[in-house]
Amino acid sequence: MSERIGVYICHCGTNIANTVDIRAVAEYAKNLPEVEVVREYKYMCSDPGQEMIKKDIQEHNLTRVVVSSCSPLMHENTFRGAVEDAGLNRFLFQMSNIREQCSWVHSDRKQATEKAKRMVAGAVNRVRWHRELTGREVQLDQSAMIVGAGITGIEAALKLADAGKKVYLVEKEPSIGGHMAMFDKTFPTLDCAACILTPKMVSVGQHPNIELLTYSEVEEVNGYVGNFEVKVRRKARYIDEDKCTGCGSCLERCPVQHKPGDNGHMLPEIEMTPEMQRRVDQIIDCHKHEKVPIPAILNGINQELGFLPKPALRYLSQQLQVPLSRIYHIATFYTAYSLEPQGEHTIKVCLGTACYVRGSQRVLEAFEDRLEIKAGQTTPDMKFTLETVNCPGSCTMGPVVALDDRYLTVDPNEVEQLLRSYA
Amino acid sequence: MNQFKTVQELLLFQESLARHKPDKVLIVSNATCGRAHGSLALVEAFKEAWKKHGLQGQAHLRVTGCLGYCDCEPLVIIRPGGFFYARPSPDDVEEIISESLIGDKPVEHLLMKDSATGETVWKENEVPFYRRQKRWIFADNFELDPTSLEDYLRNGGYRAMVKVLTEMKPEEVIEEITRSGLRGRGGAGFPTGAKWASCREAEGDYKYVICNADEGDPGSYANRGLLEGNPHSVIEGMIIGAYAIGAREGYVYVRMEYPLAVELIQKTINDCRSAGKLGRNILGTGFDFDIEITCGGGAYVCGESTALMASIEGRPGEPRAKHIHTVERGLWDRPSTLNNVETWATVPKIIKNGADWFTSVGTGDVSESAWGGSKGTKIFSLVGKVNRSGLAEVPMGMSLREVIFDIGGGIKDGKNFKGVQTGGPSGGVLSEQHLDIPIDYERMDEAGSIMGSGGMIVMDEDTCMVDLARYLLGFLMDESCGKCTPCREGIIQMYRILDDICNGKAKPEDMELLHELSEVLQTASLCQLGLTAPTAVVTTLKYFPEEYEAHIREHRCPAGVCKALSSSEVAAAT
Repeated sequence: MSERIGVYICHCGTNIANTVDIRAVAEYAKNLPEVEVVREYKYMCSDPGQEMIKKDIQEHNLTRVVVSSCSPLMHENTFRGAVEDAGLNRFLFQMSNIREQCSWVHSDRKQATEKAKRMVAGAVNRVRWHRELTGREVQLDQSAMIVGAGITGIEAALKLADAGKKVYLVEKEPSIGGHMAMFDKTFPTLDCAACILTPKMVSVGQHPNIELLTYSEVEEVNGYVGNFEVKVRRKARYIDEDKCTGCGSCLERCPVQHKPGDNGHMLPEIEMTPEMQRRVDQIIDCHKHEKVPIPAILNGINQELGFLPKPALRYLSQQLQVPLSRIYHIATFYTAYSLEPQGEHTIKVCLGTACYVRGSQRVLEAFEDRLEIKAGQTTPDMKFTLETVNCPGSCTMGPVVALDDRYLTVDPNEVEQLLRSYA
Repeated sequence: MNQFKTVQELLLFQESLARHKPDKVLIVSNATCGRAHGSLALVEAFKEAWKKHGLQGQAHLRVTGCLGYCDCEPLVIIRPGGFFYARPSPDDVEEIISESLIGDKPVEHLLMKDSATGETVWKENEVPFYRRQKRWIFADNFELDPTSLEDYLRNGGYRAMVKVLTEMKPEEVIEEITRSGLRGRGGAGFPTGAKWASCREAEGDYKYVICNADEGDPGSYANRGLLEGNPHSVIEGMIIGAYAIGAREGYVYVRMEYPLAVELIQKTINDCRSAGKLGRNILGTGFDFDIEITCGGGAYVCGESTALMASIEGRPGEPRAKHIHTVERGLWDRPSTLNNVETWATVPKIIKNGADWFTSVGTGDVSESAWGGSKGTKIFSLVGKVNRSGLAEVPMGMSLREVIFDIGGGIKDGKNFKGVQTGGPSGGVLSEQHLDIPIDYERMDEAGSIMGSGGMIVMDEDTCMVDLARYLLGFLMDESCGKCTPCREGIIQMYRILDDICNGKAKPEDMELLHELSEVLQTASLCQLGLTAPTAVVTTLKYFPEEYEAHIREHRCPAGVCKALSSSEVAAAT
């Protein structure tokens, strides 16, 4: 079916006309396929301009309208309104922006005119593909779900709730506050983080419009904007939330020790003994005047004690008057150091590319199976520590396993025998 | 050995050594790979035999470091006869001594059978692995015991240093290195002469030379071969470099995973100090220079120059943005020249033999600038599914095919070549279509991979390229320092997508996301780790698209590696 397209080119005073030859563009548009009417006008967005469009729609039975003027952000609504007034569906309309995207960004008149012609041609071609669309009104649920109750989620929840909306605030951790709750100060104002956060946390807990779902995770989201249906998994708490007073006695008695970074085993908490302190003192004395003392001291402790006990690091921080965080940064950055006690024997499976290609992943899995631990862990009897290493440079021997100070080529089937030889 | 207070003393001593070259030599290699296969016991056995047969003075027992043919070490070579034995046991020592050393005959049943052709190798110069190599740098490993300064001197060592300290001005040294077209052997291929010149010109009286012996690329261990086989060559190079730049202090940063190398470099430095070749007023020339060792802590990112320097300073090895280069402000904010082990080891050779010698081999034209070509030789670690693996030193410009098939003897177990991973995790994977590429910096770049530090991991049809790309990303994910967002967050996301692909859970939008993430990392990462992280994915996608297709569309892993996609059913017995 052929369309009857009306093309309107605006001068926008001198904004477009000074750079683009409107007459030339209009002449060009007349020759585009299915174009019925072409008009140019000083200010299309004005009342007479809009009337022009409406009149043409009725008198010429136009089926599509193109306006080449300014940005749609300015006047798309205006022209859509005019089209609709004239009895044509408001979406059978296309704008092309020959102002912000052409006359306002170019200075060469010839080139700008050519570009404007192409833009108009594009709009004319595109509008042919438009279909009638009808808007409709949908009932909106006047509620919102916020996932994540850190400071951002908390603030957003309070704003929405104060505006009268119902808010569901979902947080996967047992408590809200997120990272800010773990910080001392904010940047750059050096405000006390807790002093800013905690009043908000209380507000969230007390607000009549906020339903707090902690220790919960979003499982499924269905629906669409304005009408969502969300499935939230509420994790088992073993606590009656109505009865809990937050006294903390349960924490003192709890048999489960879960610290982030733990390898899952319940290793005994390491204490600082007088003996340990004496040895650390010796090591500090030995290296404290060196140019770069901290790594040398850490190496010394690692060698003496086999690992870096946390109390030793805390002691070191005190003795050297260096922030513990800096020592921790170094101690946790380098894989040479471990903050956990090491086993009698260290098994390092190489996962470098050459060894990987020769199947070292399966060797690692064989060790993990037999020892019933994962890489990075130590067996409960403290016999073996299993680790991965990234290339000791013996690639022709791959897959390489460094057992203490021996380098071996190991086949997954030989693992059992090898371990037994160390029993 | 006494301290040499003047150059004269050193030269006289060297001359006296040259007069006592032994007639026969028996070489036993005793580096890391050798030791893993019992070389220590072998050496002991030979020492016993020497005493028993009273060979002192008649023949020389030389215990060397790495000889490059790692597959077969420890090696026993008798010269001048050229008899070549691979992995003999201590029980064979008696026979070797009486028949081969004293009797000048090969012990046939101990001779090596080539792993590719199965043919017996009668002489050292027939060894297929060595034949096509051009061992300009590595050949010295055969001539010396790495713990012996005497051996190094007897072999002509420190001649270059003497020439530089007594006959050349610093600018002349830089000129010679620049003319040679030497480019950094650590991976970036930056013109060494230009680097030294910038450092010399940089403001400041206190400058450093640093040797990057971190060699973090898995699969790459050419540096280890040099550190364990010829540590003096590295030190000599650093002394020359320090003189040229005007540095008084040097550091060697060795990774902790190379304990033998650490030991040997420390001994070398100690020996040099005792002999007056390091320290104040070296050989009476007025030049002060000394070197310290720092050990790495097991972090791959510390191979990056700014991270390495942070590590020496005692901080965590986090890189910094390099809009001010380390030659201007590096270690402790002072001008620093960081070069790779192989680069340093090449320097004395260039000084000794001249820039023209170096440019006689290689590709391109370096008369205008070193960027114009790739000159000299490079040591590659040829590993993976090849018949003959080890360290191969080849002239720049030799093709991949020649290295993998002529030197490496082709693919093990009669399988088919699938791809070769070059340049470490920052490099890419090249396929069959690239086999005839001449190896040089620019051509490798064009193909999408990099030469890098020389790792060359050959893969056959049993390697899954998608799994390999995932593995390489996993490696970089572990080693990322975490400082910049694109790398820290981007690699994880890319890894997850590849993991999904390997487990048959790929979604259609994944590929587009993978491309987008690659672009972000390649543009916005702070250091080369992040910038080059996508290379593995990009190259495998480009050269092995069918494999990705199979994983994503057909949920099938052609190589049979990805467990989730290779299911086997047990049919009921009939």
